[in-house]
Formats: sequence, C-alpha cells, structure tokens
Amino acid sequence: METPKISRRGLLGASPVVAVSAKAASAQTPEAAAPALPDAPVRRRVVLKVNGESRELDLDTRTTLLDALREHLHLAGTKKGCDQGQCGACTVHLDGERVLSCLTLAAQAEGREVVTIEGLARGGKLHPMQQAFIDNDAFQCGYCTPGQIMSAVACVQEGHARTDHEIREYMSGNLCRCAAYPNIVAAINQAKSQMGRA
Amino acid sequence: MLQPTPPVPQPLENMGQAIPRYEATAKVTGQPLYAADEPIARPLYAFFKTSGVARGTIASLDVRKAEAMPGVMKVYTHRNAPPRKAVKHIMTGGYMSDTNIPLADNRVRHDGDIVAMVVADSYEIARDAANRIEVRYAAQAPAATFGSPGAVKKVPEQAQKNAKKAGDFAAGWSRAPVKVDARYSTPTQHHNPIELYATTAVWNGDQLTFYEPSQFVYSTANGLAEQIGVDPAKVHLVNPYVGGGFGGKGILTQRTALVALAARDLGRPVKLVLHRKQAYGLTTYRAETRQRVRLGADRNGKLVAFAHDGEEVTSRADDYMVGGVENTVEMYACPNIATSVTLVKADRNTPGFMRSPPETPYMFGLESAMDELAVALNMDPVELRRINDTQKSPISGAPYTSRSLMQCYDQAAAAFGWSRRNPRPLSMSQGDWLIGWGCATATYPTNMMASTARIRLTADGKAVVEVAAHDMGQGAYTAMQQIAAKRLGLDPRQVTVRMGDSALPPGPVAGGSMTTASAGSAVHTAAGKIAARFGGAMPAPNDLDDAFRRLGVTQIEEYAEWWPPGQGPQAVRALYKGSMGGGGGEEGEQQEGNAGGGKPMMAAFGAEFVEVRIHRLTREIRVPRMTGAFAAGHIVNPRTARSQYLGGMIWGMASALLEATEVDAKRARYVNDNIAEYLVAVNADVPQVDVILVPEVDTKVNPLGVKGIGELANVGTAAAIANAVYHATGKRIRDLPITMDKLLV
Repeated sequence: METPKISRRGLLGASPVVAVSAKAASAQTPEAAAPALPDAPVRRRVVLKVNGESRELDLDTRTTLLDALREHLHLAGTKKGCDQGQCGACTVHLDGERVLSCLTLAAQAEGREVVTIEGLARGGKLHPMQQAFIDNDAFQCGYCTPGQIMSAVACVQEGHARTDHEIREYMSGNLCRCAAYPNIVAAINQAKSQMGRA
Repeated sequence: MLQPTPPVPQPLENMGQAIPRYEATAKVTGQPLYAADEPIARPLYAFFKTSGVARGTIASLDVRKAEAMPGVMKVYTHRNAPPRKAVKHIMTGGYMSDTNIPLADNRVRHDGDIVAMVVADSYEIARDAANRIEVRYAAQAPAATFGSPGAVKKVPEQAQKNAKKAGDFAAGWSRAPVKVDARYSTPTQHHNPIELYATTAVWNGDQLTFYEPSQFVYSTANGLAEQIGVDPAKVHLVNPYVGGGFGGKGILTQRTALVALAARDLGRPVKLVLHRKQAYGLTTYRAETRQRVRLGADRNGKLVAFAHDGEEVTSRADDYMVGGVENTVEMYACPNIATSVTLVKADRNTPGFMRSPPETPYMFGLESAMDELAVALNMDPVELRRINDTQKSPISGAPYTSRSLMQCYDQAAAAFGWSRRNPRPLSMSQGDWLIGWGCATATYPTNMMASTARIRLTADGKAVVEVAAHDMGQGAYTAMQQIAAKRLGLDPRQVTVRMGDSALPPGPVAGGSMTTASAGSAVHTAAGKIAARFGGAMPAPNDLDDAFRRLGVTQIEEYAEWWPPGQGPQAVRALYKGSMGGGGGEEGEQQEGNAGGGKPMMAAFGAEFVEVRIHRLTREIRVPRMTGAFAAGHIVNPRTARSQYLGGMIWGMASALLEATEVDAKRARYVNDNIAEYLVAVNADVPQVDVILVPEVDTKVNPLGVKGIGELANVGTAAAIANAVYHATGKRIRDLPITMDKLLV
C-alpha cells in the first residue's frame, strides 16, 4: 500500500500558515532568527480507520495518533506512558505492524488500518494472546498490558518468537515496571502455537 | 539446570486457590479506566512550565506569547495563582508529599519546580504555549546532595526518639576479634510507574469529582479539601485502577490543588497529565543514602556488636526520613547495638516512600557487610546467617510471631545448587565469563492499619464487597474477592469487588504492604457478621434462597470496622480523615508493625540467591538466574503472590545494576529524567527467576494469618548481587548501582 510519508517537522514546515506567521514574528522580534512557530494551530480533517470503523476528526495537525485515539475517539485502552517513544505502552498495529502511536501523527495513519487493544478480540472471543496473558498472569497493574499484547501479537507474526531469547529481545521495547517479564515470555510461548505461525 | 517455576504454582499448606486475577479479562481487553482514561465532556488541558534552575528567584516572566495563542484560556503564575492553604507533610500529621507550595511566590526551590501553568482547550496548544513562556532567573548556587556547599546536616527529633540500641556497642566492638567496618551508598531512584501522574478535576456546582492515581484515596481527597478550603464531604476521588504506584502515588502532591482550582476558576473540567520528565521534580523519589556498618563477631561467627549509621538526603522544606536502621538491627541476634540517622537538607524536592523505603537501601548495607564478615571468618554466608538467626527481637526481647528465615535459606539454597559453590573468589568461570554466586536475606515488617468494609449478600448468592482500598497490581481485588468468598461459602466468581473510590468505606493506604492484612481483615470481619445472621455458619449456596426466606429479607448488608491489636475506634476515626498517622494505640500510631516495647515482632522473611556472569574483558554484568524463597504466613493466592515476588526480585536486580537518578552536583538538577536514560529492567535483562513459596502458619498476626509481601522480594536482591559480584571478581562494590566502570577500575 502506498502511503505518504509525513513527519511532525515536515508537516509544520510545509504549511503556508507557518510561512506567514514566521514573517510576522520576525518583524516583531529582532532575535527571531530561529524558525518561528505558528501562532495558531493548523487544523486538518483526518479520517481514521480504527478497528474496522471509519471515523472523521478535525485535528490540530500536531495531534499524535495516541492522543487522537485517547482524547478524540475515547479509545483509552491505548496508554500514554512517556509520550516520547521510550516505554511501548502506546503500541498499536498500523497495517498489521506494531508502531508507537505517540511517535506517529494521526495524519500519518490516514488510509491505513489501525488496530488497538479494543479491536483485538473478535466476536466476543479473546485473541489467543489475551487468553495467554490471563493464563500466565503476565501483568500486574495492567497499564503496559495493551502495549505488551499488541507488541506480542506482532512479535509472533514477525517470526520473532522462535526462542525465549528471541522473545525477550524483541519484547524489550515494552517496559513493564511491575516486571512481569518471565510471565510475558510464557504467555507468548503459549499463544504462538495457537496463532498458527511462530 | 533448574526449570523455571511454572507461572501458576500449586497451592501448598496454608495457601488459598491460585485463581486468575479478578480484573484479568478487563485488563487484557483495554477496559479498565485509569485516571487519565476517564471520558470527560469538553475538558480543558493543563500543562506546567517547570523551572530550569534548582534555586533562585524569578527575575522576569513573560507570558504574553502564551496568552496570545488562540485556545489558551489562562496562564497561571505566582502573580495570579489561586491561594492554597499550607497543609502539613504526611509524616507530621498532614497530607502533603512536599510542603513547598508552587506559584505562591517568585522563588524556585528545586529542579522542576512549577513556574507557570497554562490551561488551553487542547493538549497541543497547552504544551506549545507553555514552551513559549519566557523566564529569566536570578539563580543561586544550589546544594545538590551529600557534601555540597550549603547542604545542612540535621538529626531529626524522630530519629533520636526512635533510635534503637542494646547493650554497649563500644564495649562489644572493642572486644570483637573479627570486625567489618565498611561504608556503603545507595543512589537516588524514581518510581517511574508506567502510568503517568495525572489529575482531572470536574466541578458540579460546589461538588468536586477528581480522577488521579492514588494509593490512598481518603488521604488524597481529605488533603485536597483542606488545601482548597472545601468541605471534605464535597470532594470525591475516583480511581479504581492504579497503573503502578510503588509508593509514588501514595501521598498528595501540590499539582492537584492547582488543577482543581483552575477548573473552578474557568468553569470547565481541567485535565493534566504530567510529562514523564516533570514527574522527577513534582513527585517523590527514593532518597540517596550513605551508610556505615560495623559488625563485630567472635571467632565462631556469633555477632557481638552491630552499629548502623545512616545519612539521607531530604529537602529544605521537609524532614522526610527513610529510617531503615530501625529494621536492620532486628535481623540477627546481637547483644550490643547502636544506630543513628542524620538528614542532609539540600535544594531538592522532598523524597518519599518507594517500594520498601527503609529496607531496600539499609538491607543492602547490612547484607553486604554480613557477606564481608563471612569472608573475614572464612565461613559460608548461609551458615553465618544460621548462627545468628533469632526468634526474638535483639532490642526488646519480644518474640517473633513466626520467622522462617532459615527454612527459606535451606529451600532456596537446595534449589539453586549452592552446595556446588567454590567459595574462593574468581574460582568459577565459563569461557570469557567469570561466574559468581551470592545470597542475602530479605525481610519486610508486617504492617497493619485500620480498615472498614461493607458487604451486601443477596438471596441469589451474589455478594458485593466495598472498601476504598487500592489495586495497583498487587492482586488486591482478587484477594478481597477470595477472602469474602471463603467466609461466605461462595464461588469467588459470585463476588463483585469495588475499590479505589473515596465514596466507599475507607481502607488502608496501598503502602507498607498492608492491604491484604488490613482491608482483608475488615472484609473477613464483615463477612463474619453476615454469617452471624445465619447463626454463624453460612448455608450452602444452594440453600441460601431458603435461608433468606426464613429470615424474611432479600438481602443482607453488613459494615465492619477492624483495627490492629493495640489500637481502637479512634484509628477508624483517623482513617475517615485519611490520616496515616492517627491510629493511636496508647503509645500512638506505629507505622512499622515491629516496633519494640515488648510487642510481638511481626515480619515476613526470604532468602535470595543469584548468579552473576561478568565478562573477563569488558566487565559486562549479566544475571542469568535468581532463586528466591519466601515465607509470609497465609498466602491468599499463590498465583498473584508469586508474581509479586517475581516482580520484586527483578526490581531488586534493577536497583543493584541499573537504577540511579543522576543528580548534577553543581546545578542540583536531575540529568536522566526520562525512562530511556533512567534504566529500568527490560525483558532482555531477565532470563530466569525461580520463586519458592515456603509454607508458614502464623496464628497471631491477624485473623487471616497473612503478612505483607509486596515489598519483601526486592529487599536483599541488591546485596545478593553485590555479594555474587565479589565472588566472581574478588572486587567488593559498596556503591550502587554496580556498573561496568566500577569493575574496570
């Protein structure tokens, strides 16, 4: 699938509103040699397809996929743990691949399939990974759990769950402060055979 | 090679069923509402501008660019911030984690102090606007930590009052033929729960509902009411799920009142989610310590003298005291004991409780010194613990209600394969890897505080349990469910549990590992009152409907109050006020359940064994396996208990090897204030952890026979690792964390 590559920085720079306000800013403040920020937010209509459902939003272009899900679509299962790509709590699937929704602009997700923890269970039946997390007590406080599960499903689908060592390595972007790590490894081992491909 | 313990252990003697967590399905489907998840109609968003210096005054503050942004509702600074009442620190009878009131004046008192708060109609604009505030400081040189110019030493009254001693240390020390006299240090650490610190405030007329992660909803709600001058009955805190706390969410911080008052001022709900970086200065942390341990023994290894002296950093504002020497001196039989604690006041935010606050740093000192003593005596370190094991307090002489330390050592040693250890350092290796085995004692006192609970049983055999206790991952929902089900003769699946809400009957702080012992005892008591309505013995679930008909009612509701031995109803009155210190037996409240005075000693124990592998050339340190055995009275649920121990040992490993908040010595600023540079354990750090639940029966601690376990397993791990590092390399590292550079010197 062809998708436009947009970065946070590029999006701001490309906006005509930015250019205008930058001029205005430099006229007022002599020291404004650094690129000025827009004074007013740039808004954009964004259509997101989340868990199979299309939703139209009017967003500040800087809105991350994470904040779009949480604050605008009230899909709060995806968690904010750092907002800077360090903890993995916000992991969702974008066209089947795991991404950090805090480092993805909502606009970047347009035209792509977003799946969150709320969309993993099908027809009232838990995904094998969700059941495996229960069976192996693979969480305590549960806050990192949506990200762990989304990451774990992708980890298996990527073929990165062949050994315990490989699971540990490929799950190390998802921090669990309660440290349920050995149970998470056990859960992935249980689920990978049920998921069909490991 | 050992097989890992299966995730779900079989219950042994005196253990309940290993059922899955009460809220398990909710948690794997993204359903639980943590504080910042609550759907709020049309909220405003707050974002703090925090200080770039640790000490000084604000020379100029220009908020015009921020105010000019479309969508910005208001910018609060020291010039227009709403006043808040000064409320005392939690340890002096108040509610606050830090009594420094931000935006009350133009002074900056620590790194990350709040200098402005922007409220806007979107998160993006609030954050953008905060970054456009221009601040210039008249900075002064701050005192960062120990030894900094301007840091002031203070021996707090509490330390003098609580100082424990026995016999004559000086005399015992001078006579001891074998001595260890060593200095240890432990670093600043931050809790870093994955759930960020958040507050959402919603006013409905003069009623305030707020959502924030809290390990003590009654305290947080009452404290906020006092700060903003509102009737506590009109302040409601909702927080059914806590995304990790570890002590950091136990006590009210100053952010909450700012959010609540802004929401009232602007007439709209206000939502704040602290950035992770901001949490370093605006919540608490584990204070750094320096310790001196002196152990004197006779030639057979019997201790004859033990002195533990500590120095701890705190803020200028508050005398928070870690206080671990009160616990280390209870560990081993010894006739001559002395302790001291000195605070060092610096330009920092106030430290606070972090998982096993006293034990984690101070047991590192003691258990490292015990290993050094074993080396000096040429004695096996397990045998040194056995020789000095005690069933009574060396201070007061009071007996332990139960203490299974050596059973833990023996079971863990056998599982680990300790008998195959060559005690000589540098004696075990594999290829380029030096192998070291070490062990240490874990302990945690059995703390309890008053609790209430309400249970409603209906004729269809369903029960609803209500107590404002908290589940931050310990398994508290499940424990309450199981305790009620057992006493009511129900299948646990018929029991609904409601917690984490200040509208429910009050429960204890989720701290001090006392939720199961305290709230569980109240639930057990309430269930017993229901049983009494049926003549003491509960009818079988199938007979319930008939039994209700005979009573002529459709449901029974019972409310119970429970307090620990030695306390009274005044402890419940204090609980309703959210007071942590107002329990009040005849001697006043004792936070640590094993305080002396002839009262029985109550504590859980464990033994931890670790293997470290250190690369011969690079000194890379790996921990391929850890084995821990723990005894803590009745275990309500072996599945969740095992997870607590598992997570605890990994915490301990991280505290030994990874975790340190670096404090800039010159600027008193936190350098690695994010969760990528502040290293916590990741999955790849944790190969094999073997947990052994040692059966123990204790009929004296409380009606349930349970001890606290949440803060047990992370105690001792750091020393076990340091001791293993010595065994691998012959090098004794006394300053945590143990990093490659310290081994390369």
